[in-house]
Amino acid sequence: MTTTTLQALVSDLRRALGPRHVLDTPEDLIAFEYDATIERALPDVAVFPATTEEVAAAVLLARRYGVPVVPRGSGTGLSGGAVPVNGGVMVVLTRMNRIVEIDTLDRVAVVQPGVINLHLQEALAPHGLTWAPDPSSQRVCTVGGNVANNSGGPHTLAHGSTVNHVLALEVVLPDGRIVNLGSRVPDAPGIDLRGLMVGSEGTLGIVTRATLRLVRASESVRTFLAVFDSVEAASEAVSGVIRRGIIPVAMEMLDQEIIRIVEPRIHAGYPLDAGAVLLIEVEGLAEGVAQDAATVEAACLEAGAREVRSAEAKAERDALWEGRKAAIGAIGAAAPAFYLLDGVVPRTRLPAVMKQVMALTAEYGFRCANVFHAGDGNLHPNIMFDPAEPDAERRVLALGEAIMRVCVDAGGSVTGEHGVGLEKRSYMEWVFRPADLDAMTMARDAFGGAGFFNPCKVLPGGHGCATGHAAELAAVMSDPRVYV
Amino acid sequence: MTNQPTESVRHAMPANTERGPEAYAIDGLTPRLAFAPDSRSEAAMLLRAANAAGLVVAPQGGRTATGFGRPLTEYDVALDLRGIHRVVEYVPDDLTVTVEAGITLAEVQRVLGEHGQYLPMDAPPDDHVTIGGLLATAKTGAWRGHLGSPRDHLLGVEVALPSGELARSGGRVVKNVTGYDLHRLHTGALGAFGVIVEAAFKVSPRPAQTMTLAAPAADQHEAMRVARATWDASLATRALTLLGGAAAAHLGLPARPTVIVEFAGQAAAVERSAREFEGLAGRTETPTADLWRKLRATHGDTATTVARLGVPPSLVADVVASAEGAGGRAWGHLAAGAVIVHGDIGVDALRRLRAMAEERQGFLQLEHAPVDLRREFAPAEPGDGDLVRALRDRFDLKRTINRGRWGSGL
Ligand SMILES: Cc1cc2nc3c(=O)[nH]c(=O)nc-3n(C[C@H](O)[C@H](O)[C@H](O)COP(=O)(O)OP(=O)(O)OC[C@H]3O[C@@H](n4cnc5c(N)ncnc54)[C@H](O)[C@@H]3O)c2cc1C
Repeated sequence: MTTTTLQALVSDLRRALGPRHVLDTPEDLIAFEYDATIERALPDVAVFPATTEEVAAAVLLARRYGVPVVPRGSGTGLSGGAVPVNGGVMVVLTRMNRIVEIDTLDRVAVVQPGVINLHLQEALAPHGLTWAPDPSSQRVCTVGGNVANNSGGPHTLAHGSTVNHVLALEVVLPDGRIVNLGSRVPDAPGIDLRGLMVGSEGTLGIVTRATLRLVRASESVRTFLAVFDSVEAASEAVSGVIRRGIIPVAMEMLDQEIIRIVEPRIHAGYPLDAGAVLLIEVEGLAEGVAQDAATVEAACLEAGAREVRSAEAKAERDALWEGRKAAIGAIGAAAPAFYLLDGVVPRTRLPAVMKQVMALTAEYGFRCANVFHAGDGNLHPNIMFDPAEPDAERRVLALGEAIMRVCVDAGGSVTGEHGVGLEKRSYMEWVFRPADLDAMTMARDAFGGAGFFNPCKVLPGGHGCATGHAAELAAVMSDPRVYV
Repeated sequence: MTNQPTESVRHAMPANTERGPEAYAIDGLTPRLAFAPDSRSEAAMLLRAANAAGLVVAPQGGRTATGFGRPLTEYDVALDLRGIHRVVEYVPDDLTVTVEAGITLAEVQRVLGEHGQYLPMDAPPDDHVTIGGLLATAKTGAWRGHLGSPRDHLLGVEVALPSGELARSGGRVVKNVTGYDLHRLHTGALGAFGVIVEAAFKVSPRPAQTMTLAAPAADQHEAMRVARATWDASLATRALTLLGGAAAAHLGLPARPTVIVEFAGQAAAVERSAREFEGLAGRTETPTADLWRKLRATHGDTATTVARLGVPPSLVADVVASAEGAGGRAWGHLAAGAVIVHGDIGVDALRRLRAMAEERQGFLQLEHAPVDLRREFAPAEPGDGDLVRALRDRFDLKRTINRGRWGSGL
């Protein structure tokens, strides 16, 4: 885009949204050139709409000027999804942060996309209600980002990902139309465009309002900390619990490497000499929880747990969780740089896959800290490295790719919750056949946003998109600066 | 000349897959041809051949829900999927199962039951419902508000497209955000974007214990009070249903508004739930064990008009009462806000009910009804009309699959 066209676009945007809500100087834009990965690309202009109509107006202007549109929430994404690789208009939704309605009678909330996940939870808590999605980033991330990425969290094990908790969406389409998908009352007859929109990572539409399904908070919750000598033994316990017919609401694993990083900083009470710990949570009626608790304990001990602690009081439970929630941030403080992976495997393959991950990491000469959603088979290896070391980046990328291969070969996939974004586009061909990708392309094209709404995301290829794993992966090397 | 298209389809298919078309009538139309392929690739071959020949295909499984959607406008070839019914992969310790679409829900439950597991879905009327049909109609039953819908348990699908391609989305792992979730688009789409031939699900452990109780109430307000209090108490509830008096009588209970509830889970939790429910309701009865089966079977009895309404939970009792006031039998699953109405209550009563629902952003859908009624009550816009058309144009430009189900031109 030439400078004069850009200036014309900026002044049109200012007319539509008000001068204060359009940024175009490099000093201002620098805050919007990355998400929680470190690929950087500056948008040409960033806008901060306050209403759905302003979002639509921005989309129509971008369309008229032929530049891409990239929606952004809080920018905590871990796959480069909000990085404007081809520039264009960044639509930042953080001003649209109103909780429009909480209907306690019918257990529905209506929110604008910029509402922070935790703010919603805080507003719901006095009513004994929650919105199930609880990504570890919930203090910062937006509901719009959760919807766009179909985010998960520790409690996805029992409650499912974001898509199960979204009833309806108001969306601005690439042609500027404002449509309502889904219905406030579930299961309306018709085509479930809501279900397709969730997880579409800003490539099909911009979510401007979400109608959410709420659940009652449980009467009784118990959290366990089970301590093991090895990751294999802890993985075995995960299978053992499920084999006994129990699905806890959460089963999270931390390995020795991460325990040694987290514990000195957070003092969550994880033994420093443990090979791995499992955080397991069960909830429901007090009577059921007591029974499940006994089963969980038995399964852990049978798998070789050397200690199983349990906490029922909220403060004690929160203390156990604190280490888990702060883990990723702690890695940032402990290593010059790290690369956070997100893979998923059938849970019975967990012990074997973890062994392969460890072996590969050793082979490549890196340290790797694992903190992940073990109950779902959702791995998060964090490869720590020093970018100053010669050839480090290339080797980290190669290792990441090798680990992703292991996940796919085990019958799993290349992302369980962080999204494909920019990072995993090339891997799509490992998981899907050409006909599968063709069908996905047909669906995307029906929305009319190809090359316009968040270009170079989700699907491989695309006009003007960099290709090759190295190019994309270099995009997502995590940088501790993001977390401190 | 007129025989040419049918001959080309016949030519494309193995002779032993052809069936007599008479058994496959839908909406008063009898197809010219019928096939029951043995494999997914044969199903895809049939679609490709029919698409090339310009013929309209109606995929079908157990034929328990052929009255969904608008009446078909044309119908040349029946695609019977019941021959494609393998369990492709079942890993009990992973709590996942992958099956072909023609398998019945009952058969899946039998296989999972051997390992103490089940699919937490109770789509009516059960036995003949195929997995493909269940997904294509997104049918749900009494468990929906407590255990989720088929959409929530679905991990991935493979569909056969009119082009003859087989296309997958999702996968077999329980948590996955790789690529667009086309499987959600196919769920409830009545084949608009392809014929589901395989599906992977998350399964659940069977509850250790279940218990069903019934609480007859003095009137609908009392019934609603009990139902609401039960829901709010967050007990170990798997089903919570408010029966109108006529519906209760039909199930062999006293002809009064009645709350029926099923608790499921650990024995101690179920017993505590039952005690609390008794406390809330004052008086309860233990109905016969086959109550829920009878309720589901009623739903599948297609002798009369069957309507399903979606309303906010707080409106369920009013809608049940209103439908029974018009002469129907009605019951409502509270947590899902789903009300089922049986009986020929007349077009005015149906319109009234629809207005009641729509005023609160709900809906009325006819699951079984004479053709003219189904035309009147068809959903006006199946989602966003323009988007649906754009999608249909890409997946099935010639409207080979179920032409007319979503309205003219769709
Ligand atoms: C420390 C840390 C922990 C994390 N833990 C988890 C976890 O436990 N589980 C998990 O799933 N993720 C986790 N994440 C990843 C991330 O927080 C989630 O993906 C989150 O949902 C992103 O929200 P956001 O508002 O930051 O979105 P952004 O990063 O701003 O955007 C994410 C994507 O959504 C699109 N988008 C944003 N808003 C909209 C909108 N309104 N309409 C359409 N598209 C939109 C963007 O274009 C982009 O593609 C974690 C991240 C960090 C940094």
